[in-house]
Amino acid sequence: MTTVKTNSMTPVQAINDGLRTMLHEREEMVVLGEDVGINGGVFRATDGLQESFGEDRVFDTPLSESGIIGTSIGMAMNGMLPVAEIQFFGFVYPAYEQVMTHATRMRYRSMGAFTVPMVIRAPYGAGVRAPEIHSDSMEALFTHMPGIKVVCPSNAYDAKGLLISAIEDPDPVLFLEPLKLYRAYKDEVPEGKYEVEIGKGELLREGEDVTLIAWGAMVPVIKKAAQLAEEKGIGCDVIDLRTLSPIDKDIISESVQKTNRCVIVHEAQTTGGLGNDIISIINDTSFLYLKSPIERVTGADVHVPFWALEEHFLPTPERTMHAIQKVMDF
Amino acid sequence: MVEVKLHDIGEGMTEGDIITYFVKEGEDVNEDQPIIEVQTEKMVTELTAPKRGKIKDILVEEGATISVGTTILTIDAENGSNEEDKASPKDISETPKSSEPVSGHDRKLEVKGPVRIKAAPYTRKIARELEVDIEQVQGTGKDGRITVEDVKDFKSPGEAADKGENVVTATKKAAESPMEDENWIPFKGRRKKIAKKMTQSIYTIPHVAHMEEVDMTELLAFRQELKPEVSISIAAFFIKTLAIALKDYPIFNSELDEENGRILLKDSVHMGIATDTPEGLIVPVIRNTEGKPLSDIHKEMKSLTAKAMENKLTGKEATGSTFTISNVGPLGSIGATPIINYPEVALMAFHKTKKMPVVDENDEIVIRSMMNITLTFDHRVADGGEAIAFTNRFKSLLENPKLLLLELV
Repeated sequence: MTTVKTNSMTPVQAINDGLRTMLHEREEMVVLGEDVGINGGVFRATDGLQESFGEDRVFDTPLSESGIIGTSIGMAMNGMLPVAEIQFFGFVYPAYEQVMTHATRMRYRSMGAFTVPMVIRAPYGAGVRAPEIHSDSMEALFTHMPGIKVVCPSNAYDAKGLLISAIEDPDPVLFLEPLKLYRAYKDEVPEGKYEVEIGKGELLREGEDVTLIAWGAMVPVIKKAAQLAEEKGIGCDVIDLRTLSPIDKDIISESVQKTNRCVIVHEAQTTGGLGNDIISIINDTSFLYLKSPIERVTGADVHVPFWALEEHFLPTPERTMHAIQKVMDF
Repeated sequence: MVEVKLHDIGEGMTEGDIITYFVKEGEDVNEDQPIIEVQTEKMVTELTAPKRGKIKDILVEEGATISVGTTILTIDAENGSNEEDKASPKDISETPKSSEPVSGHDRKLEVKGPVRIKAAPYTRKIARELEVDIEQVQGTGKDGRITVEDVKDFKSPGEAADKGENVVTATKKAAESPMEDENWIPFKGRRKKIAKKMTQSIYTIPHVAHMEEVDMTELLAFRQELKPEVSISIAAFFIKTLAIALKDYPIFNSELDEENGRILLKDSVHMGIATDTPEGLIVPVIRNTEGKPLSDIHKEMKSLTAKAMENKLTGKEATGSTFTISNVGPLGSIGATPIINYPEVALMAFHKTKKMPVVDENDEIVIRSMMNITLTFDHRVADGGEAIAFTNRFKSLLENPKLLLLELV
């Protein structure tokens, strides 16, 4: 039996460890973005990397998201493995054109001659009292487009494993880092290289009555809600989706076909949110298994409000419990 | 033609039993004349004619259980209007149309439009698997929805569910005809209602039971003294004394609003009296006990329990309690862990009073009439210390009727 040595890490430390592991492993990998070099990134995710690997492999860029992504696309098409940091996911809009017009369709456009093996890392989400735009949760803008994968870990183990998978992936991957969880808790993270497969959700807890689905910073929310439900004698399957595109349809349908009820929790706004796609998946795969309409607990259909109202915008375990009760009482 | 349907008489009822018809087919009726007696889970009530006219078709047999929305009978209304009149006293917008199967009768009905079936996809799947025509199933769920159990009930009688034979008869047969080696009794109506409420209470409220013994000797003697003048039952003393003690400890006369994070202290004490009836447990309510003299409480209690026994309580008389007592002593009991009458916060049970040797303050053994009481309370709202203080207050008043007199208004 082989034993794997692990270290206790926060999610942001695990991301740093993942980047360091892959910089050792893959000479063609580079890390770029605003303040990722000397400063170590706004959240210290790239702390110490420039010191270890030099300015040629870990370097600061001008304040230009479009430039960061455009440059990364060019490098990726020419054999490098760029990992670009967007300081806050809400700042990605200037780079959106580069992602949508070029990164996502280069493989298709060149009939397979070129791929774009790049990773876009971006902290996302509300709950840390950041200023305007910083807290947006716009994953659905990216899951809509084919040609880019979207992943979103909720813990340190998955953060490192999914990041390594993303770097190894031959196509562009958007890697969303839940800001609120960066330093929320620690997990045991293996040393060295390991992968968490993109496209696979994880069943965190098993129950017979309701399926709870979330990702990123909402995973602790549904875990807490499942505890509240258990106190009322309601058993919950708790699913961390981990990959938002492509979605693990099997884990969703298997669970819903078992429990016959579902509550989806995401912090993005309701309208056009990914929850709607999940409802469609259930509709396609499991319609005849439903005992009640599917409930969504989401952010409100407004811009993420300033800090004083932020907590009212975000889903809570109590709101989730209310939805659970609703699907049970239908 | 006017269709008289079973409507929701209150409390979101879903079904009822037709007990008696006061009218026959062909008979003339006036508007608001009582025409049918219906038994719901809690009460018996009369339905009245919505229009003046002649009773045309009686569609449901006496004794049948039907769901809300089912047409019971039709009236040829006067005025000569042929207009289709949906005149159920409180019409429900999504009421099934009259093409829905009607209980207890194999009369052919006119089909007036597409049948609306209310059933979750999962229920439809089970119906397909069991090869049950879901359109033939009578729903007993919320708003008349067909549940998985309804489908299974429909399936289980097998050959009994012939074409043309209606659903209620089929489910009734399922309930009444024992399987080969087992005896089944129906689990529905009030029994089911009680079960639902108890489950809700015990799953929602963390129950704690606190027990105490009360010396009833003085009170019994006091009652004897009163007897030539007026006879007051011991239970009336309990109720009055509780109303006084609850004013001192209002937390036990409250309701938890968990969703909004607050507790509502009720202004008045509406005392629920758990009553053991042939039909099962029912809780009539004496309102505003704090403001009523003992003699009124006594009379009201007698009248309400008698009505409960005869199943004649009105909706108002059977709901709205803020605290409940369970006087099981006369039936014989020395202790229990009662379930709180949700959403109340506490329930007190009174057990058997019996003569016992007791050591008095002079260290002598004397014979006293002792009774155990149990207070079950919601530990989310109150703690043991408060429960003991409340019970002690109650006990001291009951043990010393003179002290009780001081408190009477």
